Amino acid sequence: MDQLDLLKKDWKKQEDSFQKVSYDELSKLIHKKSSSIVKWIFYISILEIVVPIIVLLFTGNDTTNKEIQRLGLSNFINVFYIITYIILGYFIYRFYKNYKSISANSNSRILIQNIIKTRKIVKYYIWFNIAIIPVLSSVVFYKAYNSTDFLEKIPNGTNMIIVWLLSLILIVIVMAALWLFYQLLYGILLKRLNKNYKELVNTGDCDDEL
Amino acid sequence: MTKELEQKFVSDLEEHQNIVHKVCRMYTNNQDAHNDLFQEISIQLWKAYAKFRGDSKFSTWMYRVALNTAITLYRKSKRSIKTQDFDTVLFKIESTSYDDTQEEQLKLLYKAVYQLSDIDKALVLLYLEDKNYREIAETMGISEVNARVKINRVKGKLKKILNP
Repeated sequence: MDQLDLLKKDWKKQEDSFQKVSYDELSKLIHKKSSSIVKWIFYISILEIVVPIIVLLFTGNDTTNKEIQRLGLSNFINVFYIITYIILGYFIYRFYKNYKSISANSNSRILIQNIIKTRKIVKYYIWFNIAIIPVLSSVVFYKAYNSTDFLEKIPNGTNMIIVWLLSLILIVIVMAALWLFYQLLYGILLKRLNKNYKELVNTGDCDDEL
Repeated sequence: MTKELEQKFVSDLEEHQNIVHKVCRMYTNNQDAHNDLFQEISIQLWKAYAKFRGDSKFSTWMYRVALNTAITLYRKSKRSIKTQDFDTVLFKIESTSYDDTQEEQLKLLYKAVYQLSDIDKALVLLYLEDKNYREIAETMGISEVNARVKINRVKGKLKKILNP
C-alpha cells in the first residue's frame, strides 16, 4: 500500500478517538472570550492611535501655549494641529474600514491580506508621526535658538553649528528609537502572518526542504 | 442574533464537530492545546455564522473558518509541547490493525506531518479529507494549479522523510 494511502486510512480512524463535546458544553463554549490575534492587533492599533492624540492634547497646556506665543509660532502650531487632526481622521476611517473587512469567512489568502492591510494603515500612521518629529522640532529649535531670551542666556562665543548638530543628533536618536520600537513590535506581531502569506502565494517549485 | 439561530448553530456544530477536532489534531500536540484551539474555532465559527450565506455546504464553510483560525487567528498556546514528545500525544495508532512496518511508518508519517508548516498542514488535512483541488483552492484562496503543485510538493516532502 502507498504510504500516503496508509496515512489516509489511519486518519479516518482518528475520528473514533475524539472526545465528543455535548450540546450544552458547546452552547457555553461559543460565548467564551476569544484570544484571536485580530483582537490583539485591534487593541494595540487603538493604543497606537490614541497615544499620539493624548500627547497632542497634553502639549496644548497653558505653559506650552505661552511659550509658543512667545516664539511667534501660534499660527504655525494651529495649522499644524488642523492638518494633523485631518490626517488622523483619515487614518481612523481607513483603519475602521479595513478592520471591518477582516472575516474568517474569507479564504485564507484574503483573510491574511486584510489583516496585513489593516496593520499597514497603522504602520503608515506611525511613520507619519515619526516624520512629524523633524519638521516640528526644526521649526521650534530654529525659533528658540533665535529668540532674544536664548541669545541672552548662552555664553559668548558659543558655536551655533555645534548646538544645531547636537539638536540634529537628538532628533535622529528619538526617530531611530521610535522606528526600532515599531519594527520590533510589527516584526513580532506579523512574523507568522507574513511567513504564511509568502508561502501561500508562492508558486515556485524549488522549495523542497521541510 | 436570535435564540433560534444560536440553537441551530450549536446543533450543526455538535453534528459536525469532528471537523473541528481534526483541525485541532493537525495543529496541536496535547489535549490542553487541542481544547484551547477547539474553543477558539467554535467562537470564530459562531462569530462568522451570521455571514454564512449557505452558498456552500455547512461542512465546507466549517473547514474554511476552522483552518483560518488555526493558521491565522489563533495565538499559539504556551502549552504546546515540542515534537520530541510525540509518542505520548494525540494520534492514536491502533497497533492491532497494522504490522510492525506499517505501524512504524505511520508514526514517522504523523511525526513528519507535525513538522510541516501551517500552510502545508492545511493542505495535508484537506487532502486527507478527500477534498478535490477546486475545494482546496477555494478554501486557501489560491489557484487550482497552485493547489495541485503545493499538494504534490507536500506529498514529496513526506515521501522523502520515509525514504531518505
